[in-house]
Amino acid sequence: MLRVKAGDLNRMGLLFERYHRELFGFLYHMSGRPDVSEDMVQTVFYRMLKYRHTFTGNGAFRTWMYHLARNVLIDTVQQNKRSAHHYDVADFADRIGGGLPADESLHREQELALLRQALAKLSDEQREVLVLSRYQELKYDEIARILDTTEGAVKVRVHRAMNALKTIYLTSEHER
Amino acid sequence: MNCDGVNDKLPDWLSDELSLTERAAVDAHLAQCPACQQELAATRQVWQRMGAVTTPEPSPEMRTQFYTMLHSFDEAEQAVRKSTWGTRIDSLRQWWTPQLAGRVAFSFLLLSLGLVAGYWLPGRHTPDVAYQQRIDTLSTQVQEMREMMMLSLLENPSATERLRAVSYTKDLSDANGRVIDALLTTLNNDPNVNVRLVTLEALAELAHDPRVREGLVQSLTRQESPLVQVALADVMVKLQEKRSLKPLRQILRQAGVNELVKSKIEQTIRELS
Repeated sequence: MLRVKAGDLNRMGLLFERYHRELFGFLYHMSGRPDVSEDMVQTVFYRMLKYRHTFTGNGAFRTWMYHLARNVLIDTVQQNKRSAHHYDVADFADRIGGGLPADESLHREQELALLRQALAKLSDEQREVLVLSRYQELKYDEIARILDTTEGAVKVRVHRAMNALKTIYLTSEHER
Repeated sequence: MNCDGVNDKLPDWLSDELSLTERAAVDAHLAQCPACQQELAATRQVWQRMGAVTTPEPSPEMRTQFYTMLHSFDEAEQAVRKSTWGTRIDSLRQWWTPQLAGRVAFSFLLLSLGLVAGYWLPGRHTPDVAYQQRIDTLSTQVQEMREMMMLSLLENPSATERLRAVSYTKDLSDANGRVIDALLTTLNNDPNVNVRLVTLEALAELAHDPRVREGLVQSLTRQESPLVQVALADVMVKLQEKRSLKPLRQILRQAGVNELVKSKIEQTIRELS
């Protein structure tokens, strides 16, 4: 990234190849919409180019990337709220449920749909730490840098989110 | 380690965030606590279910779009970079040729020459002199015309016109001999008392001229109107004209002189002598 900052914009392609999948995964799990996520990936990389002078080189590129991604995410959600395209929980779960492979067993499909619904019911903050920890497979100290907080706070947040998810998921499973 | 402590560590256990010693402690507790085993199972179930949620592959268009964006961004950036200082200095250098420098120097030289010439020229005053001469000629001509008009107006049978003629003399800056003669004639011979009085006033203004003074003194004996006599006596006092004493005494000796005029003249004689 420092080379990109120095003017070697072609190096950006390398960074894209290395990170776009991870970034897409994060945005997808946070928004639940593949098409919107692709747009957001594009926006994040555009901002990397435009604001490359803000990259100090202190700390990892990945942390910086997640910082930008979170801002883009906030902007997108606000835009959608303004255009009355609200992120409805049921809507979100339905859309994810609809994308399942057809050869999955019905039971497994239902279980996954339930879990997605449960994830969607979490607050953005709770879902974020779980996504970063479970799907992005980041260590607590990395998450702490992304969220600008301490490792202990991340740990507490993950525990609370996990317990909340467990409660929502297990109760909905019993209700069935 | 108790159950609460283990419960707190379960997500860390699953996400492999525990140190080896911590992990050993949790494992040791789990082995002997069924409740915690159950809790771990539930958490693990959710954890694994989460892992089963697949992430779709981003579409290939995303890559194409990214490279299109990168390319256009790069081009825009280079265009901006080119149009900054380097190009500005280059264009300035192209524009600033030796011929141009020569021209600029020459124009400055001309300008300063003009300034120097403009500074020295007014010292000769040639245009001013001609102008002044013309003005002088014009004002002389106007003066002459006024005199002519006054002289002809004084001959006018209408007393009003003659009064106007006398009043013109105030505008004549310095009356010449002809004007003074005409005025004195009017003072001595005009049939209208008012015209004579106004003429006297006009002549009193011109009293710095010795001829006027002499004329006024001589006029004393010729006046018959008491009003003009009194007015003349006043003028004599004002001018402190000692030569008037003789004609004044002459008037006193005349028969049929107005009593009022008599006392006025006696007073004048006292003031003058």
